Amino acid sequence: MSDARDLDICASEPIRIPGSIQPHGAMIVLDASSQVITQVSANVSTFVGLDLRVGEGLPEELRSLREAIERKAADADEERFQEALQIGDRTWTVLMHANAQGRLIIEFEQRGEQEEQAIEALFVRLQAFSQSLLDHSMDDLTTAARQTAVFVRAITGFDRALVYRFDPEWNGHVIAQANNGELPNYLGLRFPSKDIPPQARELYRTNRLRLIPSASYEPVPLVPAVDPELNAPLDLSLAALRSVSPVHLEYMRNMGTGSSMSVSILVDGALWGLVACHSRNAHTVSANARAAADFAVQAFSMRVSANARLEDASLRVALSALQGRLLAIMAEENELSAALARGESELLSYADATGAALASDDEIVVFGAAPHAAAVESMVEFLESTGRQEFYTDHLGAQMPGAERFAEQASGLLAVRISELYPHWLIWFRPEVIRTVTWGGDPHMVVRESGRIHPRQSFQSWQDQERGKSTPWREAELDAARNLRNAIVGIVLRKAEVLANLSESLQRSNKELEAFSYSVSHDLRAPFRHIVGYSELLKGRSTNLDAKSRHYLDSISESALAAGRLVDDLLNFSHLGRTQLALKNVDMDKIVSEVRHSTTRLIDQRQIEWDVAALPIARGDPTLIRQVWQNLIDNAVKYTAREEVSRIAIRGWRDGDEICYQISDNGVGFDMAYLGKLFGVFQRLQRTEDFQGTGIGLALVRRIIDRHKGRVWAEGSVGEGATFGFSLPLKVRIDD
Amino acid sequence: MTDYRPILLVEDNPKDLELTLEALRRCNIVNEIAVARDGEEALDYLFRRGKFEGRNEGEPTVVLLDLKLPKIDGLEVLEKIKSHAFLQRVPVVMLTSSREEQDLIASYELGVNAFVVKPVEFGQFMEAISNLGVFWALLNEPAPLRDLEWK
Repeated sequence: MSDARDLDICASEPIRIPGSIQPHGAMIVLDASSQVITQVSANVSTFVGLDLRVGEGLPEELRSLREAIERKAADADEERFQEALQIGDRTWTVLMHANAQGRLIIEFEQRGEQEEQAIEALFVRLQAFSQSLLDHSMDDLTTAARQTAVFVRAITGFDRALVYRFDPEWNGHVIAQANNGELPNYLGLRFPSKDIPPQARELYRTNRLRLIPSASYEPVPLVPAVDPELNAPLDLSLAALRSVSPVHLEYMRNMGTGSSMSVSILVDGALWGLVACHSRNAHTVSANARAAADFAVQAFSMRVSANARLEDASLRVALSALQGRLLAIMAEENELSAALARGESELLSYADATGAALASDDEIVVFGAAPHAAAVESMVEFLESTGRQEFYTDHLGAQMPGAERFAEQASGLLAVRISELYPHWLIWFRPEVIRTVTWGGDPHMVVRESGRIHPRQSFQSWQDQERGKSTPWREAELDAARNLRNAIVGIVLRKAEVLANLSESLQRSNKELEAFSYSVSHDLRAPFRHIVGYSELLKGRSTNLDAKSRHYLDSISESALAAGRLVDDLLNFSHLGRTQLALKNVDMDKIVSEVRHSTTRLIDQRQIEWDVAALPIARGDPTLIRQVWQNLIDNAVKYTAREEVSRIAIRGWRDGDEICYQISDNGVGFDMAYLGKLFGVFQRLQRTEDFQGTGIGLALVRRIIDRHKGRVWAEGSVGEGATFGFSLPLKVRIDD
Repeated sequence: MTDYRPILLVEDNPKDLELTLEALRRCNIVNEIAVARDGEEALDYLFRRGKFEGRNEGEPTVVLLDLKLPKIDGLEVLEKIKSHAFLQRVPVVMLTSSREEQDLIASYELGVNAFVVKPVEFGQFMEAISNLGVFWALLNEPAPLRDLEWK
């Protein structure tokens, strides 16, 4: 039988409708509207000394009660009614409330001789207690809890009062105790959640106070057992005399307690904890003392609530300041991962985490003490499988199979999905906090006997090591994570919008640029052609031109020609930006040999020694790669023109995931100090009259190689030659 | 066989016109050179309308057509020629200042017979124009046009 099943059985006990009451009082049940008696407790005649008949109204002897009922009806706000009533020659404490079935439940309790005097004393003590709660600094909850325990024990007269606090799993932790030494010290112990099944917890929430003066009482049945009109058992949820589960009485006896009282600590409507009082022997508490205890505990509840709110508020203030700083960084950075890396300390303090991770399609970035990327990847898979936009746990191992491996750094996980469309997550991690928990008895032990569950018999303290858990995430931290998620989504959306605008205006200006270069190509070349044409015509006409005039005419032609070439080169360069790459396997041997021949065709008077190795094939756009070689080989030939013998060597090799090529010459070389300028547009390191050129060749080379996602490099020294190289990646991913 | 029909030169730029005419003169072509200064005039000449209504000479042996022209540009003139049942047999050579990929593609799609980029260097320019003149006026065997009637 599983533990869950045990719990179910316990939870299914009909604790709201036991059909009986405890014997320290008597009960009369009326139809709330007709005031006809529907049920009575079997002890009503002996206890109150009245002979009442079901189906009739209240007798004349109970006139004072009838008047009380009228008073209660007149005051609609008063849900529960408690008064001292004179019936015959005795005074009773009478409690009245209407239940959900439309029944007025009237409970009689005996009233002690001294109670009237006691009330005044109670008021004074309550005042003193309320004052003491306020005296302490607000964050000292333990002191307030201890004072509450002391006060409740003092006014109720129990041997021991405990203040329990429930954890999120409903285990109860004893945080304060007042004890006269009759019963064991339970301070610091933890009681497993199954000690109080869910149904009982719900009843603690609706009915704050429960008294059991004797753990060995004989229940008094209601007569008749079932409401004759409703034909249903009576709902006693709110009745003070409600008889409790025999399992609970057994539990009490096992614990060595003869009587008990509990007052619920409700914080913002939720069950936060209990003040539980016990005595070794039977012990009863007057209704007034109970009311005072309830009042004290509610005062403490308000302290708890105020504390939580204050703590929460200051945490939220701190978190929004952190969020402000993070957002400011994000606004400055283009990449979220870069922003988070810059704001790492803010990111981590934001969720009081020791590690964090950002997961997007193509990368996982971790910050602080976080599991490695592969582990985060498996977490993202898990997160996606939950189908949720946010996820948090302080015990990842219990949620995600295999997560125990990361427990040290990631026992706690708080994740928000930062994209509607893609599996992008921002995740915070908290480390494992190994806690030694002292249980009030072995929480794993369940006693069974002939098919029936018995509550545990041993309350010997039992130590447990709790592993794989982090400190729990607080509500303010969860809210902060959600806020940050919204902010990130907002920023991403805004950036996408900006990008869309930008790309639209880029496309527009690209079109304009295209139109511009188109007309330049047509209109700018023409005048140069005309200049050259007319000066040539002039030269041809004038046979008697002197040498100087001829030189001037030559200069005009040369300049116009150079300008024309410049236009051609520039156009070629600007074309590069917009033409699509057509990637193919490029036969470098073939291209290099063709370029060599076309370059040297016109300069056969020079002596050039070529040393060309076999070149590996690479992936690229053949037309553009041909231009690269054209420029590099042209340069090598050009800058070795003054050598007696030009030596040009060409090499190629594979290096990891790229193919490299290099051309070296023995020409004029260059000063490495100008390396940075070498590949820039219009950067020339040689004077024009020494070597012709437009200053675009190497810029073109770099641009082509850039577009292939490759690298370019150069080495040289003045007078000793130069080496130029480029690489092409084996796997080219072009982004256009 | 020598073809004495005219060469139609369509050129808006007076300097280009002068230089081209000079180049054609130097290669000793005897054909008459008809000149049109924009796309509209070129079409008027070809379709014998406007001021060319009732001109006597036959269809041009070749049209040297500049690409960028006022009013109606070179590509449009080319399209009109090549989509005409009769005139489409007249060879058209695009003469342009630069080798723009999109112009090149468009011209060939419209059925241009040749596409020539005017070289900046004068010697080369002279050579290119002379070659064109010699080829189209002297060497090329034209399509029989006379047996076709105007529609």
